[in-house]
Amino acid sequence: MSRLMIVLLLGTLCRAQTNNPFASDPQAAETGRWNFRIICSPCHGIHAEGGRGPDLTLGTYSAGDSDAELFRVIAGGVPGSEMAGYAGRLEDEGIWRLVSYIRTVAKHETSAPPGNAAAGAELFWSKGNCGACHRVAARGASIGPDLTRVGRQRSSAYLRASVLTPDADITSGFNTVTVVTRDGKKIQGIEKSYDTFSAQLMDLSGKYYSFLREDVTSMTREPKSLMPSYAKQLGETEINDLLAYLSSLRGQQ
Amino acid sequence: MKLAILSLLITALAMAQTNSGDWTAYGKNSFGWRYSELGQINTANVSRLAAQWMYQTNMPGKNETTPLVSDGLMFVTGPSNTAWALDALTGRQIWAYRSSPPAKLDLCCGPVNRGFAMQGNKLFKVNLEGMLLAMDPKSGAVLWQTTLEDYKKGYSATAAPIIVKNMVVTGMAGAEYGTRGFVDAYDMETGKRIWRFNTIAGEGEPGGQTWHGDAWKRGGASTWITGTYDPKLNLIYWGTGNPGPDLDGDVRPGDNLYTCSLVAIDADTGKLKWHFQFTPHDVHDWDAISDPIPMDLTINGKTVPAVVQANRNGFFYALDRANGKLLLAKAYTKVTWADGIGSDGRPILISGHEPSEEGNRTCPGMGGGHNWQATAYSPQTGLYYFTSSEGCMLFFKTTQEFVEGQWYQASTGSRDEPGSGLVIGLDPKTGTAAWKFEMVSTPTSGLLATAGGLVFGGDAQGYVFALDARTGKVLWRFQAGGTVIAPPISYSLNGRQYIAVAAGQTMVTFGLAK
Repeated sequence: MSRLMIVLLLGTLCRAQTNNPFASDPQAAETGRWNFRIICSPCHGIHAEGGRGPDLTLGTYSAGDSDAELFRVIAGGVPGSEMAGYAGRLEDEGIWRLVSYIRTVAKHETSAPPGNAAAGAELFWSKGNCGACHRVAARGASIGPDLTRVGRQRSSAYLRASVLTPDADITSGFNTVTVVTRDGKKIQGIEKSYDTFSAQLMDLSGKYYSFLREDVTSMTREPKSLMPSYAKQLGETEINDLLAYLSSLRGQQ
Repeated sequence: MKLAILSLLITALAMAQTNSGDWTAYGKNSFGWRYSELGQINTANVSRLAAQWMYQTNMPGKNETTPLVSDGLMFVTGPSNTAWALDALTGRQIWAYRSSPPAKLDLCCGPVNRGFAMQGNKLFKVNLEGMLLAMDPKSGAVLWQTTLEDYKKGYSATAAPIIVKNMVVTGMAGAEYGTRGFVDAYDMETGKRIWRFNTIAGEGEPGGQTWHGDAWKRGGASTWITGTYDPKLNLIYWGTGNPGPDLDGDVRPGDNLYTCSLVAIDADTGKLKWHFQFTPHDVHDWDAISDPIPMDLTINGKTVPAVVQANRNGFFYALDRANGKLLLAKAYTKVTWADGIGSDGRPILISGHEPSEEGNRTCPGMGGGHNWQATAYSPQTGLYYFTSSEGCMLFFKTTQEFVEGQWYQASTGSRDEPGSGLVIGLDPKTGTAAWKFEMVSTPTSGLLATAGGLVFGGDAQGYVFALDARTGKVLWRFQAGGTVIAPPISYSLNGRQYIAVAAGQTMVTFGLAK
């Protein structure tokens, strides 16, 4: 019994290793890159710059910035998200090599965005009216993507593109669905669910709809955003302020 | 002598009593048609189809099984070395089997299993760690088990075996881990291996010149989907997978036989009768593993014994199944890498479609076209049914060293636009689609054709549906609440026809509402 306890303890200690054993091995990052491209790139992009999953080149990560925290996320996944755990597919060494690779792609945006975050917050909630669709923690609406942690999830370049050309990249699950009913009424909203036989959507007022394909004239889903471009609505200083605010949104720690 | 006659009589009696409403093999018949002669559920009444029972397996993971039904029991395999016998009338569990897989397994695509084979008083299945088992259908007891190959060297097993004469014939998986593929035949009674056909031609063997150096040792050509058997020609047809590493062809110059091929194996000797390589020197991971379906085709007024396959490379092929000669090849989806198939069977390549470090766009994508999902053939309509993923992919390449136990794929493919899906009803005599049913996402499930003039399938969003086999029109659907990856089957019990399919972690069975 005590021997079992020791074995279990040892196992826990090995898994709980806090430092990357390959931290000083330059080949580890290259080996990690091979697996990154196969396993991680479908969500995090071939250059780790994000896509369906967060941008990993920011040098700051949703689940924590230490080697041990990165290891834990890769091994166990993130409950409630699309991030699966890979402990069953990769040995500890393989996971540490992925950590090595992720460290080499981190750019660490040290220079803070040029704007004023406090002024940006004011814009976000007043003139920009962003809160009519987006949520930051308990405030705002749940029509567009939740921005509570967006500063950790997206680079400032990505955020700038989103504000200026919202169609540039659509966050998964936020396509635009258009339904034309039999009586000619056009209803447009954000995709809540969409399949071969039906569509569920929410319009910009937050009203929810569900339709069967056989009951309507047409039903389409497009990778475009219902968000307006802010290129003309805001001046350059205002956009910088807004981006400074968005980049500062890092969730509750 | 008298005993022999008696035993023959008993066998004949047993065959006569075999319930024709049973489903006792992966592809239903040895040709893998997945065609049920049951027509009680048909185009006129399918709208009344309703769920009869559900069984929750409570096993996470993709459920890809083809259930077998025999003598009132349904035999279902699940992920991670699990299996169940269920009462086919009520769905009540009769027995359960579970064996813990090793902690570290090299699996490209999840801890899946695609079903049992069955003969007389034995069930056969593979376990993930490259094991073949014989089991007692009455209790689930293991009668014998044997190792195909060492899982620590990257070998695994996921496909349903088939029965050929006194043998259980099985494939393997693991072409992403530097393995050498094979098809094995084992004695049903003892589990002793009778023959092995290596799907990679080794040094000094015929076809060995299509490799350079020792690349063949990690050549791949896994056999992860079940083959078919023609008793008249005594040939086993088996599709083979990608060469290893998948996307970097530079380390393996040559055609790389017998990867991405259909091989015809003599059932008695295990020797190659003929082969047809669909994609020589593949660099897009276009496994040729779709069920090879024997059928007789009348082409230009002449009836030919053919074998057909909707290949992952985007082309539909019909071959003469006696000699492997190309009869017909025609693209069924958007193809950008080849300008048709030459009369010699080789694709007419269009340059600029090699995977690259930064990605190169090619259609179809990495999974095809049509991937492994079970196909169906209806002798009633003469149509061949299969699914197709529509859309292209960026194909990436990485220079990668081989390390034992390390994923040896040398990069990947990724979509740069959303994919969609089709169910296609195709005339195999001409390669022309009679109809296409459009789906909003890429296909996941296999298909079933029935004498009721129906084709059953499912989708990623959890729908099970019935299409008119002649037109592709949707006649019925049911939201089952879990992705349908497995193919549906049909059986009858007490004069009533049922449709059964695995969806998510549930086995669900349908019948006409009383």
